[in-house]
Amino acid sequence: MIYLDSAATTFQKPRSVANAMDRALATMSSPGRGGYPAAMAAADAALDCRTELAELYHAESPEQVVFTLNATHALNIAIKSLVPPGGRAVVSGYEHNAVTRPLAALGAQVSVAAAPLFQRAAVTEAFDRLIVPGTDAVICNHVSNVFGFVQPVEEIAALCRDRGVPFIIDASQSAGLLTLDMKALGAAFIAMPGHKGLYGPQGTGVLICGRDAPVRTVLEGGTGSQSLEQAMPDFLPDRLEAGTHNMPGIAGLLAGVRFVRKVGPEAICQEERRLTLLAAEGLRRVPGIRVYARPDLKAQVGVLSLVPEKMDPETLGAALADRGIAVRAGLHCAPLAHRSAGTLETGTVRVSLSHWNTREEIGRFLGAMGAIFR
Amino acid sequence: MEHYLMIARSVTFAQRMQRALARHGIRSRIFRAPRDLTDRGCAYAVRIAEGDLPAALTALHREGLDPVQIFLSQRGFYQEVAT
Repeated sequence: MIYLDSAATTFQKPRSVANAMDRALATMSSPGRGGYPAAMAAADAALDCRTELAELYHAESPEQVVFTLNATHALNIAIKSLVPPGGRAVVSGYEHNAVTRPLAALGAQVSVAAAPLFQRAAVTEAFDRLIVPGTDAVICNHVSNVFGFVQPVEEIAALCRDRGVPFIIDASQSAGLLTLDMKALGAAFIAMPGHKGLYGPQGTGVLICGRDAPVRTVLEGGTGSQSLEQAMPDFLPDRLEAGTHNMPGIAGLLAGVRFVRKVGPEAICQEERRLTLLAAEGLRRVPGIRVYARPDLKAQVGVLSLVPEKMDPETLGAALADRGIAVRAGLHCAPLAHRSAGTLETGTVRVSLSHWNTREEIGRFLGAMGAIFR
Repeated sequence: MEHYLMIARSVTFAQRMQRALARHGIRSRIFRAPRDLTDRGCAYAVRIAEGDLPAALTALHREGLDPVQIFLSQRGFYQEVAT
């Protein structure tokens, strides 16, 4: 199989991830639940993982790194910590349902900073117009999960700092590729999955919390600390980590993060950009499809979308699957992004890459596309 | 043998204390804190040798890792120490 759906989850992982998970199952129980070796081995792995991520994202301390089930869980905590029911939020035009659905559930008044695809300056200008006094939070993904559009989060963070509005960054597609400096950005939260560009297993996610960000629990329960109290602990990470940890997952995520740091996010990003460019150039020669990529791939990384003019994207996805190529078709849980780009009626076929893809695989994908549209 | 127990609010904090102490050449061990020493229930304690307390407190303070409480263990009894 040629796997081109890494924006959903990176299916191919470093061998060290599986090995770490095996070791965790054999040697680790649960952190914070005892002082015996298996509990402390789990606690060590958890702290190592928090420390690696805190270093990668310049978090205040490892305790600001909270483990979640996935990025959606992390975003729910972040959004519900900052936006009260009926509150006000400003979001980009390229957000995922992981952002828009929690806001809808809160009955929030949502302003969309609408801007054309790949127009970073227009995104900044739209946020500049909409971030007004009384805004409870600004939320923006770093990279669009549909189009790979790299949004100007540094500029948006500056606007938020100037106006004293908390900023939530959804790093779901950028984690492992593009770095963020939590301290320099002054962001309230950065949310990310563990199972995409960080190469951890499914069922892992991370919420990095700013030092002064208020944190509301979305889940309460045992933490192994302050057990006499019926309120959740008022310190991180315990406040947001009720219940038993996913230790095989966290151990796998630790191995994944170490892999990314060893190879280097810049190197991974550069190679993915090269392959995306190769795919985009090849796709432009296939008749009957529209490709969403700028010729120089400026402001785009790792993901590109295409729309067949005379074929349903799901049909194209199935045709590629028949040829052993895994892509994702449809709306990618991001109707807002499709509305912004004008693809809501059709959806798109999304091609998304990882460290493991090769030029040869892109060549075979292009060959399959040529055969389908011949 | 007399020793000090430094109470941490969580296992994560206790581990960070232990790692900070190790960086300063101070040996320590992490334990679940005795129930008598934790009025809010379930905590961890970092144990250090009696002679290491001043250096340990300096090192921990420098890294923003001050313990919640400190107890001196003498003949099986614990006595809280003012810091």
